[in-house]
Amino acid sequence: MSDRSNRLTRRKFLVASGAAALAAACGPSATPGASASAAATASAAATAGKALKIGVLLPFTKVYAELGNSMKRSTELYLKQAGGKLANRPVTAIYEDEANDPAVGLQKTQKFIEQDNVDLMMGIVATPIAYAVRGAVDSAKMIFIETNAGGNALTRDIANCTPSCKSKYIFRSSFSSWQISSPIGDYFATKKGVKEAFTFVADYGFGTESAADFTQSFTKGGGKVTGSLKAPLGSADFLPFVTQLKNQPTKDIYSFFSGTDAINYIKAWNQLGMPAAGYRMNGAGFLTEQDVLKEVKDLANGAVTSLFWAVTLDNAENKAFVDAYQKEYNLLPDVFAVQQWDGLKAVDLALQATKGDTANKDAFIAALEGTKFKSPRGDFEFDKTTHNPIQDMYIREVKVQSGQAVNVIVDKIARVTDPGKPTT
Amino acid sequence: MTVEVAIQQALNGISFGALLFILAAGLSLIFGMMDVINLAHGAFYMLGAYIALAAVQRTGNFWLALVLAPLLVGALGLIIEPLLLRRLRGRHLDQVLLTIGISLVIVDLVGLVAGREIRSIPFPAGLDRSVPIIGGDYPVYRLFVIAFGILLAALFAFIHRRSRLGALIRAGVDDAPMLAALGVDIDRVFATTFAAGAALAAIAGVIAAPVFGVFPGMDVDALIYSLIVVVVGGLGTLSGAMAGGALVGPADTFGKVLFPQFALALIFAIVAFVLLLRPTGLLGRVRIAR
Repeated sequence: MSDRSNRLTRRKFLVASGAAALAAACGPSATPGASASAAATASAAATAGKALKIGVLLPFTKVYAELGNSMKRSTELYLKQAGGKLANRPVTAIYEDEANDPAVGLQKTQKFIEQDNVDLMMGIVATPIAYAVRGAVDSAKMIFIETNAGGNALTRDIANCTPSCKSKYIFRSSFSSWQISSPIGDYFATKKGVKEAFTFVADYGFGTESAADFTQSFTKGGGKVTGSLKAPLGSADFLPFVTQLKNQPTKDIYSFFSGTDAINYIKAWNQLGMPAAGYRMNGAGFLTEQDVLKEVKDLANGAVTSLFWAVTLDNAENKAFVDAYQKEYNLLPDVFAVQQWDGLKAVDLALQATKGDTANKDAFIAALEGTKFKSPRGDFEFDKTTHNPIQDMYIREVKVQSGQAVNVIVDKIARVTDPGKPTT
Repeated sequence: MTVEVAIQQALNGISFGALLFILAAGLSLIFGMMDVINLAHGAFYMLGAYIALAAVQRTGNFWLALVLAPLLVGALGLIIEPLLLRRLRGRHLDQVLLTIGISLVIVDLVGLVAGREIRSIPFPAGLDRSVPIIGGDYPVYRLFVIAFGILLAALFAFIHRRSRLGALIRAGVDDAPMLAALGVDIDRVFATTFAAGAALAAIAGVIAAPVFGVFPGMDVDALIYSLIVVVVGGLGTLSGAMAGGALVGPADTFGKVLFPQFALALIFAIVAFVLLLRPTGLLGRVRIAR
């Protein structure tokens, strides 16, 4: 019976499986490599005409991988159309994977700054990562065009800079969560005449912010928020939550979910017969973006959401952008592609204004602040005080048109500008 | 919370628990029989879901997917066990590493072939409706999940107690070397067990796909939940997986609804509490290391 001694004990099992579960939960944690390669101070001198290095930090693994891929496709398309050059400087884009992990994001940011000596940085999908790299970017005076994460604090004056705050070196080409969530609250209360609403959002930074911003503007407009519910991010089973929603009387539900959560939520919503019971699904635009609509088809019919873009948006720039993207990749672009596209467009125009010079940071920042252009989303410019975009918000309703579920634009709120400081 | 809502939430919890049982059964079976912690379990679950996605996209038939996925994933298990796992028999930590490696390969290949977009499978026709049940409508698919879980549990109980295969399994869990000494081809039993465990993971993947969706990262969620269930319920026994599912499913559901901030903490508090009171899990067998 000697080989019995080899038998797995309970303790061994717990140690092994616990370690594995932990490793799985934490993902590829930051390996403290020899990133302390100092001498990073050798900032590029006269840069015009020299190769332009852009560090692009995106998720290529984990839950947001497809967002990262979409933004990478957009980058490559833009550079291809520009002939591989911006303001006569040949461009090298260096892609790194932030793996949806703030520690990894910070490590890769330091690599861009210290090893690659990039001229500017772009990307980042999740807000916690943007917050995590803010300090490093700011102290290295690295120009950073943030192309997705919408946490309000990144472009605001915040006491003690906790959890984050604006930086003169950081520009955002996407949105602040206030811009997505606040105008629709006002619209519901004042234009649609909705008296009562109930909020149901994902329980993490963006969801909480979104519910708070909606509640504030809806209340200010004369509406009343009768209650709220939060679901942990990646909740999997949405039936318990929708059961709770159905057992309260307020019919208008404001939600923030995206990706898989949005799909599972919309399916549970229909399974419990919410539309027939008179409930109405509303929310931040990501709830009904194409990645969700193509899976839930007509199940989201009638949902009203707000976003600064829709694939159906009727303007010349959007048509050109959608056509080019479709021709190149045989895919419809998504909102993330637009954000990246506009980030590059802003960089392109600013470079032209400085004749390709990125070494003079102040001049380059001034040039970025001065850019104004027609984007696929409409008129685009940065707010000079916050570096967050000033943009139109569209109120969209999901409708089935010739067998396809799409967001149809029903109204527009012009020139939405983030307040630039906490609103409470 | 009114009585009606409480009943509906209890049903939600039971259906989630039934799913957790189906998910954890395979992990528990492999562990009980082979003494292997199969950390590729989540990857088998994911593979099952993606096979179902492909089958439903091509044929529109969910039931075909429910047959096809366990067959294919089971066949994969039948290859992996003799080819890789057998070489490491008795070397537990090496086996753990190996199964992690297998899961990474499977997950990446799935991503490569199927893409990394989030996907979903529609509910099968006929089960996409709701029926009136005490105090409100309830989705038929969830009732189907509960029924499927109970049926599977009954089938297991029958096989376990009444069949020759069950006798082999019981004997193997007790003392595999003695079973081999009695002339049973233990290699074949192990390969079959591993394949059955993998097939069960795939079945769970198919059943869960219409509810939870099909997406990169689903393997990790499933693995963590199934580890929680087997630790709470007791390692290596199917009744342990049942008990674990029956406790964790409703606890998770009510936890999420009543104290959303602590939902995850609640689950781990239960794990800690059960381990304190019953270190072998609720229905775990006392296993003495000799």
